[in-house]
Amino acid sequence: MSRFQTFAGSFRMSMTNFFADPQWIIPNIIAPFTFTAVALIFFRNVTGSVALYAVLGGGMMGMWGNTLYGAGFALAFDRWNGTLEYVMGTPSRLVWIVAGRSASNAVLGLLNALAIFAVAVFGFGAQLGLADPLRFFVALVLTLASLSALGVVFCSSFVLTRSAQIMTNGLEMPIYVITGSMFPIALLPFWTSPFSLALGPTWGIDAMRYAADPTYVGMGFGYAVDVAVVALTLVAYLAVGFVLFLAVENRARRDATLVEV
Amino acid sequence: MAYVLRDWPPLRIFTSSAVFAFKALFSWLRPSMWVVQALLLPLFQIAFFVYLARFVQPSGTSVSFIAVGNAMQISAFSSIFAVCNITSEEKWQGTLIPIIATPANRFPLFLGRAVFQVFNAAVTVAVGFVYAQFIFGVDLGQANLLSLVVVILLTSVAMTGFGLMLGSLGLYLRTAMIIANVFLFIGLLLCGVNFPVSALPGWLQPLSYAIPMTYGTTAARAAVAGASLADLAPTLLEATAAGIGSILVGYGLFRAFERLARKHGRLEEF
Repeated sequence: MSRFQTFAGSFRMSMTNFFADPQWIIPNIIAPFTFTAVALIFFRNVTGSVALYAVLGGGMMGMWGNTLYGAGFALAFDRWNGTLEYVMGTPSRLVWIVAGRSASNAVLGLLNALAIFAVAVFGFGAQLGLADPLRFFVALVLTLASLSALGVVFCSSFVLTRSAQIMTNGLEMPIYVITGSMFPIALLPFWTSPFSLALGPTWGIDAMRYAADPTYVGMGFGYAVDVAVVALTLVAYLAVGFVLFLAVENRARRDATLVEV
Repeated sequence: MAYVLRDWPPLRIFTSSAVFAFKALFSWLRPSMWVVQALLLPLFQIAFFVYLARFVQPSGTSVSFIAVGNAMQISAFSSIFAVCNITSEEKWQGTLIPIIATPANRFPLFLGRAVFQVFNAAVTVAVGFVYAQFIFGVDLGQANLLSLVVVILLTSVAMTGFGLMLGSLGLYLRTAMIIANVFLFIGLLLCGVNFPVSALPGWLQPLSYAIPMTYGTTAARAAVAGASLADLAPTLLEATAAGIGSILVGYGLFRAFERLARKHGRLEEF
């Protein structure tokens, strides 16, 4: 089976599983929705580019919630259902199976983001005027891809642990904070800057704000640089994720402790 | 007398259930992972809302208000999420039917399952208060520490009771995970964690006061301001009533769902 067939089959299977029981969208979206609602209540007397932070940040959170939980549970459900050995036993590389699942979660993540935008705009009366919809869409899709690739990197370590659920819960909030999803990263302690700048979504959300509001200043590098860095981090995450997956898969096969760890 | 008390069936069931739950938890969760979770969850939740508040600077909302509220609410990860999932996890593991088939009283059995999470919740909240003081600059100099400890413990117990009530729904539903996730975070909106309950629409406020956390956040802020146990007695009584009420409603729901599940033969349907 070719890599593309593996990827496509995994994507289709993941989508089918989701639509067989779509209630699982709720755990992925409830935290971003609640955080956005709290932020919109904080921001209720504020207008302009500042208010935009809440809406765009909520969208980014919605995407991360889905991609992270998708990554965390991509193999955890197999472990619980007793199908992990069969997945590992197929001649297809695990990384392409997980990539297909991550891609399906990314698509659902985009729907999450749109749902949060809709609730913010129609439910809370927030303003989401997009100065340049095309550039905004490019930044949105690149940010989503970057989040999804980051999820793949984390997922590689989840193969080796039964604590994937705990790690997933633990990783949700740090990304919200460190990427400055709803506030400028300049507010964070200076020593956190390297972590913030190494994360593609930090640049992605900045690019989205540039595209949405022409008066936005942000990190000061401009839209083009932001988008280029997101693309660069996307490639880097994919490369790291691929190498990690091969290493982890080999280790799991060598030690034969897949369901015991 | 001690021997008689130890062999009292409800106490024996409660104790053995608590010991089993503790052993089962740490058979799959490394203690180091538990420690990391207890250290990281409060830090990043408090940080998110404190930095958000510093950015927006809404009038009437202080960093102290938000840091204390979130330090308390972080207990929901244990008292709501973990406890609510007890029945669902038994279902996934295939152990729910043997448990239901035993003649053991369900009340001490499920209370025992949840008791470690009271400790877990209290530890996480305590860590949150350490961060609130040393990282986010909340002044605990005037705090009445005895009152604060009592508030944390009582809120943890009451919220665990609320989690058990939600968990009873998991007996009949395919999974309680969805409800667990909703109530894990909805407290951020409803329980006066980030802004006063009075800021909510009037129709939502009764729901706020049905959740023990609302009384917990109010009492914790008063304890930080120096209120004594006597000052806090009315709020603590309300929190206790909400907690006990939740446990009793949960037990009633559990028995009702158990009868319904037996009648329709769908105890393990998922």
